[in-house]
Amino acid sequence: MSTQDKMTVSDVMLAIDATPQANRTTLLKEAFELMDHHNLGIVCVTSADGTLEGIITDGDVRRMLNTIQKPIAALMSDDVINHAVLTPLTVTSATKLSDAIAVMGNKKVWDLPVVDDGKLSGLLHLHPAVEALLAQ
Amino acid sequence: MTSKIISIQTPGGNTIEIGGNGDLVLIAGPCAIESYDHSMKMADLIGKVCNQYHVKWIFKACYDKDCRSSPNSFHGVGLEEGLRTLERVRSETGLAVTSDFSDPAWGAATGEVVDFIQVPAYLCRQTSILRAAAETGKPVHLKKGQFMSPWNMKNSCRKIEAFGNDQILLTDRGTFFGYNMLINDMRAFPIMAETGYPVCYDATHSIQMPTSMGNISGGQREYIPHLTRAAAAAGIDALFIEVHDDPPNALSDANTVLDIKYFEVVLAQAKALHDARRELKAKWGEDNVHAR
Repeated sequence: MSTQDKMTVSDVMLAIDATPQANRTTLLKEAFELMDHHNLGIVCVTSADGTLEGIITDGDVRRMLNTIQKPIAALMSDDVINHAVLTPLTVTSATKLSDAIAVMGNKKVWDLPVVDDGKLSGLLHLHPAVEALLAQ
Repeated sequence: MTSKIISIQTPGGNTIEIGGNGDLVLIAGPCAIESYDHSMKMADLIGKVCNQYHVKWIFKACYDKDCRSSPNSFHGVGLEEGLRTLERVRSETGLAVTSDFSDPAWGAATGEVVDFIQVPAYLCRQTSILRAAAETGKPVHLKKGQFMSPWNMKNSCRKIEAFGNDQILLTDRGTFFGYNMLINDMRAFPIMAETGYPVCYDATHSIQMPTSMGNISGGQREYIPHLTRAAAAAGIDALFIEVHDDPPNALSDANTVLDIKYFEVVLAQAKALHDARRELKAKWGEDNVHAR
């Protein structure tokens, strides 16, 4: 078995404190600020005990802007949960990295929340994952 | 969406609950405290109608009118006399009472007397006022400023919550439509209800025409019935009405207060529509026709 085959999500995922997190009532505007702060296109919506309740990505926002009818000022004040994907794809920290990257390729996503025992434990972001694999 | 319930304790030991798809609650009284006798007279006149229609209500009168158009207008009886009057009305009638306050320094004293504390619409985003209101520990009646969008009231709610109070009633009292004119956007009720807090319609300030008469505000009270019916049908938890037995001689808001002789017809229709809307909700469910 090659080193690449041994790698798991836990080897390259962003730690929980490097993962953009919001709660259900975080304003959409604040969620965008979190994306900018972390320089990532995703925010994970979690409950007080760390359960993942949904995600919102910049792609979700782009698609929403093509259809939303309310004023932007009102949209910015919405609770983020109202626009979140409530059943996102996830991986665990023990998922093989190659399998996780295959999922990203198939679904055309750049980020996957890492969930262990129902709780968010980090974020798999495509760039460090690819860099890690290329370094092998 | 069914709102959370806020609870107002009466001096008689009862609880008035607003929200939770419950009965329509009324907040009513003269705009300003004119005297102890007048306050008691209005409490008696309003109370008789409320008893007839089984409407729970809170007596409202303010001791300081800080946003009058003119320096020569009646400014109120002042903090000390006003609170003494409210305390007497409260203890002698058993009614819960409310007043607004326009100086953060008055918050604590006001909160010691009133059962429900009101934040003036013009001051609805002033952190110092919101803090003082929250820290009274009493439920907070937060009026939407005429200049505020309904969705932005969430920020004011957050401030009150941040200061430790999550008992809030959100009220629409009209929105500026150009100069000297207010309109009611009925969307304000479901939008403000998205905060989870109950919502209220201010029937008499909504028809105000702010400072439309040079140095005083005018109003078109002929539209009070129409707009009140519309608000009750749209979905409210409480109704706010300023009532007077002699509007032309009212010391404050003479052009907008509702004459007591018309109070019954306005309240009865609002209650009937509120009850009808609840029946419709029971039959047809939530109003959401735009589910994701």
